Amino acid sequence: MSAAPRGLRALALAALFSLTGCASLGWSWDKWWSDVKLPDFPAFDEYTESPKSYVEIALEHDFLVRVKPWERAVLARHDMAFDPDELEAARRSHTFFSKEATMPGGSAGGGGCGCN
Amino acid sequence: MRRSRRERRRERATLRALTSSALALLGAAGKASADTAIDHVESSYSFSTYSEDNLKSSKTIPNGERTRYEVSTQQASIAGPITDWLDVALQVTHEKMSGASPWYVTQDAAGAPIQFMSGATIQDTRNDLSLHANYYTDQGRLGFSGGYSTENDYSAINFGSDGELHFNEKNTTLSGGLGGSFDSINPTQADLYPTRPDHKSKQSYSGFVGLSQVIDRRSIIQGSFTYNLGAGYLSDPYKEVYQVGAPSQYGDFRPNRRHQFSFLVRYNRHIEETESTIHLSYQYYIDTWGISSHMGELAVYQNFGDSFQIAPLIRYYSQTKADFYVDYLRAGQTPPDNMSSDFRLSPYGALSLGAKAEYVFHTPWLRDIEWRTHASVERYLSSGDLSLKSVSVPSPGLVNFTVLSVGITAVF
Repeated sequence: MSAAPRGLRALALAALFSLTGCASLGWSWDKWWSDVKLPDFPAFDEYTESPKSYVEIALEHDFLVRVKPWERAVLARHDMAFDPDELEAARRSHTFFSKEATMPGGSAGGGGCGCN
Repeated sequence: MRRSRRERRRERATLRALTSSALALLGAAGKASADTAIDHVESSYSFSTYSEDNLKSSKTIPNGERTRYEVSTQQASIAGPITDWLDVALQVTHEKMSGASPWYVTQDAAGAPIQFMSGATIQDTRNDLSLHANYYTDQGRLGFSGGYSTENDYSAINFGSDGELHFNEKNTTLSGGLGGSFDSINPTQADLYPTRPDHKSKQSYSGFVGLSQVIDRRSIIQGSFTYNLGAGYLSDPYKEVYQVGAPSQYGDFRPNRRHQFSFLVRYNRHIEETESTIHLSYQYYIDTWGISSHMGELAVYQNFGDSFQIAPLIRYYSQTKADFYVDYLRAGQTPPDNMSSDFRLSPYGALSLGAKAEYVFHTPWLRDIEWRTHASVERYLSSGDLSLKSVSVPSPGLVNFTVLSVGITAVF
């Protein structure tokens, strides 16, 4: 019997286990997507009646509107900021910049020698 | 009835929670997250010491200099509103550096590379000042920044502009920025060392685009791509390359162009059950000098009630070598056009472990200021063994260091 490629089997097993495993932890994909309403395809413009592009559909669709303004209490927490301590972030970034060959990502500008 | 400042502050915080998308502004004024102008004055001070471990005696010449670099850093910042839609932040840094630094790599009796350190003790100070101003609208933010950094032998001036645009009811934010830095290098004792130039300059121009997305009420993800072009004198004037049998050392010669690309992904998730917040980040970096690197970091901000927090962190880093990295040139080898013995351009991996404790308290008898105090420690270890790709001969100059830091922030 010729077995399916090992990688494929592993992938299928992982997919199966991740679904059932997550479900057993109270995770449910239905719940995750419940607030998502997919648009009808093909979508037509109301006025010109021409088909809409995927970009137009994506821009109009509220799939990416994940939380409403009154649900932001946790997101506004101090420790939910990407850099809760600005001085520390600046100091660490300068240290790694001086001692490693990599430049820090996610910003523009900055200076200093970083020799020695 | 008159409400206390604390109550009003709490109300403001709730209001901000309603209006703020809690997206990290890349380099925003004085605060890590908000999409409205800061509504209070905030001032911070921090003191840190950075000290490198002594070089192991097996990694340097017999009885050679083994002590390395020490830096003490003082930082202060102040941020506040000018109007409802405009805020500014000022950050100053004062650093004192001292110690010896890797000079060139030679060989021991067995032919293994060993580090030769600069004999003279270096004494230098660095002063850095940066200013950031932000203009806010309902749809986004526009920021301008400028900075000046000066050392005995170095000065740099930089400008930048960055901005953000919000979409999807502020669940999605597109950010971007452009910046430039103009640096001037005046190496000390250039008359004593023939490989040291008198005066040189370099420029760097950078740009980034980022996208962040709120995933749900507890998590947010951000991706960004950064490009930097370095041009001019990118060599290290204080480093040399040794050749076996040659009468004198060669200078450190690096290409005068460097294109750098970095991809950074950051993910934050708050877990309400355990009162903790997880910060995960990963960065892939590649440049035209042949270096590529991976960086991964995990920090957990564990809260104990409203006022106490402990945040352990672990960071892993691994890089490949620059095309022109050499420890030393063998006898009879023709010196290449570009070469450097700098350990920073060598292949290695590094692991750092850190922890930070933060305590927040209020002083009702003094304008009811909120004070955030912290103390932190970070230990950095680098070696060839920690590299993702196996390294046959690691640089003898690889560094281990410890950083201790204390700081205080006053929120008025």
